[in-house]
Amino acid sequence: MSTIDERVEPAAGLMTAATRGARSRQPSAPWMAFLWRLLLSDYFVLYLTIIFFVVASFFFPTLSAPGNISNQLSNIWPLLAVAVGQTFVLILGGIDLSVTSIMAVTSVGGALLMTQVLDGPTFDKSPLWGTLINENGGLLSGNPQAVLIAVAFMLLLGTLIGLWNGFAITRFKMAPFMVTLVSMIVFSALALWLTASRNVSGLPADFVLLGKGDIVSVFLGPKLNPDIARRDVLPFITYPFAIAVTLAVVAHYILGRTVFGRHMYSIGTNRRASEISGVPSQRVIMLVYAFSGFCAAVSAILYSARLEIGRPSLGDGLLMDIIGAAVIGGTSLFGGKGTIKGTFFGVAFFILLLNILNAMRLSPFVIDAVKGVVILTAALLDITRTRLANREQRA
Amino acid sequence: MLRKFGKLFILVALIALLVPMTFVSTAQDQITICFSFQDLETEFWVAGHKAITETLRAQGIEVLEYNANENPDRQLEQIRDCIAQGVDGIIIIPQDGDSAVTIINEAQAADTPIAVFNRPPNDRSRGITVVADNVSATEQAVEFIAQKALTKFETTGEPIIPLIVVGALQDTNAIGRREGFFNVINRYNENYPGMFATPIEVASEWDAATALANLEAAITANPNVDFLYTSSDFLFPTIRSVLEPRGKWVPMGQPGHVLMAGLDGDATACMLIEQGLVDATGVQNLFFEAELTMNRLLQAIEEGDPQPNEVLLDPGFALTAGNFIWQSNDMWGCVLYREGFLDQ
Repeated sequence: MSTIDERVEPAAGLMTAATRGARSRQPSAPWMAFLWRLLLSDYFVLYLTIIFFVVASFFFPTLSAPGNISNQLSNIWPLLAVAVGQTFVLILGGIDLSVTSIMAVTSVGGALLMTQVLDGPTFDKSPLWGTLINENGGLLSGNPQAVLIAVAFMLLLGTLIGLWNGFAITRFKMAPFMVTLVSMIVFSALALWLTASRNVSGLPADFVLLGKGDIVSVFLGPKLNPDIARRDVLPFITYPFAIAVTLAVVAHYILGRTVFGRHMYSIGTNRRASEISGVPSQRVIMLVYAFSGFCAAVSAILYSARLEIGRPSLGDGLLMDIIGAAVIGGTSLFGGKGTIKGTFFGVAFFILLLNILNAMRLSPFVIDAVKGVVILTAALLDITRTRLANREQRA
Repeated sequence: MLRKFGKLFILVALIALLVPMTFVSTAQDQITICFSFQDLETEFWVAGHKAITETLRAQGIEVLEYNANENPDRQLEQIRDCIAQGVDGIIIIPQDGDSAVTIINEAQAADTPIAVFNRPPNDRSRGITVVADNVSATEQAVEFIAQKALTKFETTGEPIIPLIVVGALQDTNAIGRREGFFNVINRYNENYPGMFATPIEVASEWDAATALANLEAAITANPNVDFLYTSSDFLFPTIRSVLEPRGKWVPMGQPGHVLMAGLDGDATACMLIEQGLVDATGVQNLFFEAELTMNRLLQAIEEGDPQPNEVLLDPGFALTAGNFIWQSNDMWGCVLYREGFLDQ
């Protein structure tokens, strides 16, 4: 009897095919064979991340300093949250360009609800001024449940926007690129309009905790002084960690252990064939885009809370990082392939890459160029693997 | 194909990683300052960036530079990076006053002294804030053209018609500049009753297109405007496009010359003062501000003060047609102008 994993993970199957195809062409030299196996492994990005980390730590000792590791981990969680949703969409063979604008509009939407004070001369040009917001803050200002309600609102708003994307794609037969591009423009503009282009500050302390609160902090090293310097106490398990990891685990379960996940891979591999086989593609697509919107809202909560502001341009410039992390993690831009595990490795690699490039003290322009080259290389790798797998399947 | 691609991939990955590492500095004993700037989107910030990095490096200080690409969240990550690397101090040009507050708190919570350069945080009670005194710089520039206007008023007896192009009034810089302008106008009107007519206010919202539309309307309605102050030098090309067709864009000394002053001290203003088309500009003394920032931060580092809190004002100065010869070298815009910035 086959295990659930074997039955439901076409991605894994595809990878196995790729690996088989490669093995039939494996070089004879043992070290080259090892490299081929490494290159085609599901854990290739993880291995690459570890190798990069070890080699780079040799040149830059600060990389392996506990403070730096703790810091880089804190950078992983918000990006992971939004990349998880994008992974779902990419597996379908779609793309969600609107995630950054969903982040922006949910960020300011929630912030305007729960803010405790607003500056009149700054916000009196907002269309909400005098009705939903005033000098005393938002509608929920002073309400003990403000954070809970605002967070629920942000998640609902993100989900609804995602649902709208899915609806437009399935019912109007529009290209995902076009639908989500329009959503990106419209909701970015909405976020700017609602706030008159201003940041929303004065957020409750409980909300800020979601972005930077520690659950477990550690101090490493001998205690030489009675007082430990604050910079030496390192956050280890934080609220963003708990939130993003929970989201990723749930997404991993959906993708790998449910019929819904099988349907996603099936649609991404061949939508027409899936529909003939009885896969409810329209419903699956709509729900996946809704989930992507939900994940973007989770990410918006984490980013807004750690920055302590609702920001109408939140997520600007982040799209390349989001898609790049998923692609580096092995998610195919052609659909039908990808895992949450891979996306996590992709995000970790991306954050480490940035950390290394910063440590190299390169010009910011060079850093962006290197990021682009790495994403392009990952996409090329994906194409090659897919071709090999297809060739092997045909054979 | 796989073999070829695999080799290529590994080669690219290794080159991408190893080549830049060969350029790494390994100095450990010198002071290290982290400098994170929001972007270099205007010549003002290009000059600010240059002033800070050159001032610090001239002192033998190692500077870690980070460009946040106008993303405050990225800037926050960069500051955390800097703290993790154990830098001695931090200088930021924040994206906005709100995120600056969060970043200052982050740095101070990690006992790392931090200074904010030229774009003040909304809460100035924490961190070192170095900011231009917009009121003072404006007053100095407007005073120069008011003196000339007084001569004209005393000769003709006709009231001067002043116009101010105001910035976005949510911005404290714009508010300060407007205040400086009215301080001078009111003072002259008190001392010389009837000298100035009621000033015409033209909104720009810091946007050239908005300024153009509003200025066109204002000059059409008031063609005899002969005294103009713009809250930012970047609007001089816009002003030129309105005044030139009306024969009012002429050098000083010629009939129809409008007394003009601005603020910022950019390369265009430098060129226009040199050509006699603009009379004065209030200058944010970037070189002075850079030195002020560095000195106060180094003082905090030396004293072991992890949370220095102080607001330091740059009074600025006015570069005028009168002092251009000996003071233009102090203006950042003139430095850029002479380096051929406007020819690029």
